[in-house]
Amino acid sequence: MPVRLAEEWFAICGGCEVTILDIGEPLLDILEKVSIVHMPVLMDHKLFGQTGEGTEMEIPEADVGLIAGGIRSEEHRKLAQEMRKKCKTLIALGSCACYGGIPALANQYMTEEILQKVYRESVTTESNGLPNVDIPAMTDRVYALREVVPVDMSLPGCPTTPEMVVGALTALLEGKKFELPTKSVCDDCPLIREKKAVSTLKRRFEAPEFTPGRPLTEMRCLMEQGFLCQGPATRTGCGGSEGTPRCIRAYMPCEGCFGPLSDKANPMVDMMGALASIGLDPKQIPDRAATFNRFSGAGRLRPSPRR
Amino acid sequence: MEEQTSSAGTTAVATAEFEPLILAFCCYWCAYAGADLAGTSRMQYPTNARIIRVQCSGMVHPNLVIEALTKGADGVLMIGCHPGDCHYLEGNLRAKARAEAITLMLEDFALEPERFRLEWVSAAEGQRFAEVMTSMVEQIRKLGPSPFRNY
Repeated sequence: MPVRLAEEWFAICGGCEVTILDIGEPLLDILEKVSIVHMPVLMDHKLFGQTGEGTEMEIPEADVGLIAGGIRSEEHRKLAQEMRKKCKTLIALGSCACYGGIPALANQYMTEEILQKVYRESVTTESNGLPNVDIPAMTDRVYALREVVPVDMSLPGCPTTPEMVVGALTALLEGKKFELPTKSVCDDCPLIREKKAVSTLKRRFEAPEFTPGRPLTEMRCLMEQGFLCQGPATRTGCGGSEGTPRCIRAYMPCEGCFGPLSDKANPMVDMMGALASIGLDPKQIPDRAATFNRFSGAGRLRPSPRR
Repeated sequence: MEEQTSSAGTTAVATAEFEPLILAFCCYWCAYAGADLAGTSRMQYPTNARIIRVQCSGMVHPNLVIEALTKGADGVLMIGCHPGDCHYLEGNLRAKARAEAITLMLEDFALEPERFRLEWVSAAEGQRFAEVMTSMVEQIRKLGPSPFRNY
């Protein structure tokens, strides 16, 4: 009997679903073993029954549940609970589900402020009433999935990598254990590090120095070249079997999409320490909290304290 | 009056008789020796600081300071050798750079910048060590307990 798979998406762009498609050939092997019972992006499976006859949101029983996106509305919260009830194993897919992701940057503001800004105060907005008909209530902040329901497996990344999805699903199908790496991006980064900056902080649109065509092992650390790189405070694993982190492969500094090294880590403190240690001026970072928690705002970002 | 136990296991009576809990990271080569000198010379200074000996002030990562302050310490001192005197040549300069980063971040945690201080004390300055301790304790006493104490 094939393994039943359910997928649900909440506050998300849809990139992690594209990652599933991006798996390529191995996807064919996986599809032979699974049967998808619920997936809004692919299937026309209604939550309240196919003709709207139901009174409660319902998701069919499944062995594996994938959830992408953080919790932004009460509907998401209910669906997350329903998914947890119906799925034997629940996987948080992508950084939004794992840590809140980009939408969780909104956690720096009160919900009221956000609504005012978006629907009234923004200059490009035709000021109007707040939407209130037939929409679920907004939660007070963006929650990561595991803040709402217990999660069995987390696959971070923005978007997560096809290799990781395959790894996790195959491990699950074969009953093996799947664990995330615990090291930082710097541990997998091949660039030359001398623990001393050779430049002041640069804007991200300036070009780093490297010789095209030469291997990465001959290139100087991007942070030491003055580019803000989140490598020191970010979990590695984006490079997959190739090892070298994704952004570094493209001569770009790490964005931090794989999230912090551990649940207790505070990426802002780690990064400020790392910047100061190599001689860069941490005062030049305009928005510390958001810059260093870009993908991990759920539970980490909050409205700035008023003393 | 209710008794509360702080994270360091010290018992202090709340509000009325507020006793600041201060963590002092002292470098092995200068500050700790300075503290030793203050002790052997029988200098008097408040006993609110818990000294943690580190090899160099340059190894005190901002993580340690922020963690101390957000887990109940009322103040943190980072004490190293005078600039130019570092046993490891420029460890204290790194400490200085980190101290600036720490001061910036205190704001993000809604803490007064005065709760953290970087000081230079040489091995011969027992007197200065006692003065630093006295003034830090006074300052923290004025600020009151850390908002994170019962967090």
